[in-house]
Amino acid sequence: MFNFDAIIKSLSEVGTTILAVLLIVVLLEVLLYLILVKWLKVKNSLVYMLISPAILGLLVLQVYPLLWEGYISMTNMSLSHFFNFDFIGLKNYVRVFTEPVLKQVRFFPLFWRTILWTAINVVFHVTGGMILALLLNREMKLRGFYRMLIIIPWALPQVVAAMAWRGEFNFEYGWINIMLKNIGLQPVQWLTSPIPNFAAMCIVNIWLGIPFMTVILLGGLQSISGEYYEAAEMDGASNWQKFWKITMPLMQPIMSPAVILGTVWTFNTFNISFFINQYELESSDILVTALFRAAFQYNRYGFSAAFAFIIFFILLIYSTIYARSTGALKGVKD
Amino acid sequence: MTTQRATINPSTLEQKQPKKRKSNFFRANRGDSKFKRLIIHIILILYCLISVYPLLRIFSVSLRPGNRVLSTDLSIIPPDATFENYEKVIFEQGLFQWIWNSLAVTITTAIIGVIIAATSAYAFSRYKFKGRTTLLIYLLTTQMIPTAMLMVPLYILAINLNLIGTYRGLVIAYSVTSVPFSIWILKGYYDTIPTELEEAAIIDGASPLQAFWKIILPLSTPALAITFLFNFSQAWNEFLIARVILGSNEAILTWPLGLNRLMGQYLVQWGQYNAGAILVSLPVMILFLAMSKYMISGLTLGSVKG
Amino acid sequence: MKTFRIFMVFTILALAFAGCKAQVEVPTGDVIIQLWTQEGESDNAYQYVVSLTDAFTALYPNITFEVVQKDTETLREDFQTASLAGAAPDLLWTVSDHAGPFTTAGLIQPVDEYFDMDLYVPSVVMNDSTWAVPISSGNHLMLIYNKDLVAEAPADTDELIAKAEELTQGDTYGLVYNATEPFWLVPWLGGFGGSVFAEDGVTPTLNTDTMVNTLQFLYDLKFTYQVTPESIDYDTADTLFKEGKAAMIINGDWSLGAYKELFGDKLGVAPLPKVTATGIYPAAYTSGKYFMLPKDLAGDKLDAAIKFIEFATNEENQLNQLSTLSRLPGLKSVLSNEAITSDPILAGSALAMSYGTPMPTVTEMRCSWDAMKPEMNLVLAGSETPADAAAAMQAATEACILQLE
Repeated sequence: MFNFDAIIKSLSEVGTTILAVLLIVVLLEVLLYLILVKWLKVKNSLVYMLISPAILGLLVLQVYPLLWEGYISMTNMSLSHFFNFDFIGLKNYVRVFTEPVLKQVRFFPLFWRTILWTAINVVFHVTGGMILALLLNREMKLRGFYRMLIIIPWALPQVVAAMAWRGEFNFEYGWINIMLKNIGLQPVQWLTSPIPNFAAMCIVNIWLGIPFMTVILLGGLQSISGEYYEAAEMDGASNWQKFWKITMPLMQPIMSPAVILGTVWTFNTFNISFFINQYELESSDILVTALFRAAFQYNRYGFSAAFAFIIFFILLIYSTIYARSTGALKGVKD
Repeated sequence: MTTQRATINPSTLEQKQPKKRKSNFFRANRGDSKFKRLIIHIILILYCLISVYPLLRIFSVSLRPGNRVLSTDLSIIPPDATFENYEKVIFEQGLFQWIWNSLAVTITTAIIGVIIAATSAYAFSRYKFKGRTTLLIYLLTTQMIPTAMLMVPLYILAINLNLIGTYRGLVIAYSVTSVPFSIWILKGYYDTIPTELEEAAIIDGASPLQAFWKIILPLSTPALAITFLFNFSQAWNEFLIARVILGSNEAILTWPLGLNRLMGQYLVQWGQYNAGAILVSLPVMILFLAMSKYMISGLTLGSVKG
Repeated sequence: MKTFRIFMVFTILALAFAGCKAQVEVPTGDVIIQLWTQEGESDNAYQYVVSLTDAFTALYPNITFEVVQKDTETLREDFQTASLAGAAPDLLWTVSDHAGPFTTAGLIQPVDEYFDMDLYVPSVVMNDSTWAVPISSGNHLMLIYNKDLVAEAPADTDELIAKAEELTQGDTYGLVYNATEPFWLVPWLGGFGGSVFAEDGVTPTLNTDTMVNTLQFLYDLKFTYQVTPESIDYDTADTLFKEGKAAMIINGDWSLGAYKELFGDKLGVAPLPKVTATGIYPAAYTSGKYFMLPKDLAGDKLDAAIKFIEFATNEENQLNQLSTLSRLPGLKSVLSNEAITSDPILAGSALAMSYGTPMPTVTEMRCSWDAMKPEMNLVLAGSETPADAAAAMQAATEACILQLE
């Protein structure tokens, strides 16, 4: 059951890791202190000292790989040009748009499919989450019990949930088709037909994402003081008006980050699309899964690097717009 | 009483200064018909069933002897239920060893990540400096880099830095990837704490660092807890980077790598996989439930300006 | 006269040495071999690998092994990445179709100069070099049947269909197989006289009458004769057979272990029945597991690896493998051993293998698999005609091959 050697080894590994990190950070800080404060006498050097561990770590572990990928994206590295690849400039970037990305699927259909996937999921997440939050925002018996059960999908590891649902979509033995048969409807080929497979992916991701939204929206609802509603009632407002004129505007600051983060996460969700698509239907791929396949199943390293950068730039544009519009880039003193 | 169609403006309502009362949205609650309440309970119960059913199915497969993942029998507890899959995955496969490894890596990652993020986020929140906006945007976009893109260069880098097959490598990789998101959350939270508190402390003779340590940090406990939790859950479930870095060292596999070994090319050990999945999900679920109160308050506090 | 005799002695010696491979000595220093294998634990194969390395270390204590298990796709990806970073392992124990990508990228070295390949079953040969040493052979599909339901294996496909129709009633099916993977399609393609590649081994020949007939045959099994379930994948087929709800299953030698445990004497094994229309036996793809040597392996590690391979493929260990894993050997001499001929299951498996054809290991094969899979699924879902599917397969394969750069 336990390998005691491994336990000791893991503890010592943890110890050395912490020591290593401490050492690096202390060295870094001392170096910066000497350079910035004593030598260059920079104002606000504390700031730079505070953020430098994070920035250094990111530089090494993310910027370097990104630069490497950037270089590779401009070569024709693949299986047949594994060690001896040539520089081909921006040709890969052009090819992402003009050639099929995988066997048959092209970039723009993939892009629109990913947008569709994101839109469907986010709409259902928010709607479902809002309905559940509204229902739970009452004093009732069993409220804690409901909340506990509703959170379960969120706490389940994504891969486990994907595998479990994949089993449920099995044609012969899955619960869904058995239920359909019992009602008298035709069972559906969830795993082998394009449109049902896409629907299956959406169902699973919606199931996984509603708890998160519910929890956030519920918190938001609870922070709205009841005085607004009392005052509105005194003015004779209907329930509908109360919702749209009070609840929604006051929920804005909470909903916006949640919706936007949810959008980005859904856009990039790899696990669901990869695992539900058991038979590798190209019609069920979204951008990130296609990227993975291009890189690792087809070994088109240069091409997939360019592909990855294009996805990255799309998200970069989106996130810049989001950050500016919500003022999240400003600090406290702006 | 005239029933007018009122135009409702939250800002004018604020000026009315009514007494603070704890009340819910549907204050008409008390007047709700029994029927309405029944419907609401039914809806909630239905949804709870949908939420929980797949988990119960995983559980029932784990109770079946052998490898019977598929069966037309829909009962949750199969007639020949047995714990043999649990025994096999714990004793023969060493599930608890994997869980231990995951815990070691994840807790270390979460702690280091929180420490680095807490200090960096403070700088972003309180100081205006050149390149701040660019850095903040960069931090946000790192969330969006598909991991697949980084796997090959990360591997090469890890080999050159001698990080392959060690916890060092994995912890550093996880901490670094979780830092950007943590900084955003903590910065949002810090932004809601008025600067007057630190300024008062500095006037009283404290250094900026002391102000941070003694005043800001204690106030930010909820946000720190949430950051810890998010880092923990991200590292706990992570597969791709673990595969790159730990792939060759059998002794210290984390649980995603471990469970993955139960999947052969055609033969998957479903019974044991599901048993392992249940055992692995339990600690996380308990942790989530215990901390869910913190999570709600933290996520909203950061975005609602006071 | 004396000079002539000396000359003869030298000639004979020279000829004798020409047939010899370089004799490798066991290294004396400490050597650690990192062995990557895709053998899993679920069929006890991983444990077998470890037992072999342990036995070798017992013989030569200075040579130790680090056995790392990765699943098939992961092993291929990681080996490529590791080679790129200059950190490749020392020895591979894996499937034959990995040789394709590895030779294209120049990551492994030929084995002809270290081993006498005539001793082994046909191995991976590309560009006039052999790239792998077989440890076990097989991995082929065959007809496995439940003797309680089917007394004797059908001799040809008409008989197969007739028997299956008789047995398909209620919730029992006559025949099941993994209808989602093209691996189960290619034997029938051979039976109808076709093949995935032309003579040169790299030009795809998928848009042919033989392919159309094959797809039509599979379509008929499901829709016309209705002897197979509506939707079957590997797990479904396996479960049905194990539960006794399927009379016959087309599955591979890796599954024999579990079936033998369940059915004992009631398990029957036979080659796939010959196609009535052509009289040809279906040619299942045979491969097996192979040792491969990374390109930069040299010096003591190379010698140790070669010695280990010799050890693992010697007659004693091959017979051991036979009894432990029920896998047919890579060493030719063991194939005709009594241990196989006297066991009906192994004999049936060996017979089935004899009708098979080696699985192509070229990189282009990957393109063919990827092209055949979705089309096969579409035909079996009734959404595409066999003719259209064959054409689509050909087009997709050609497009993919072009992209192989």
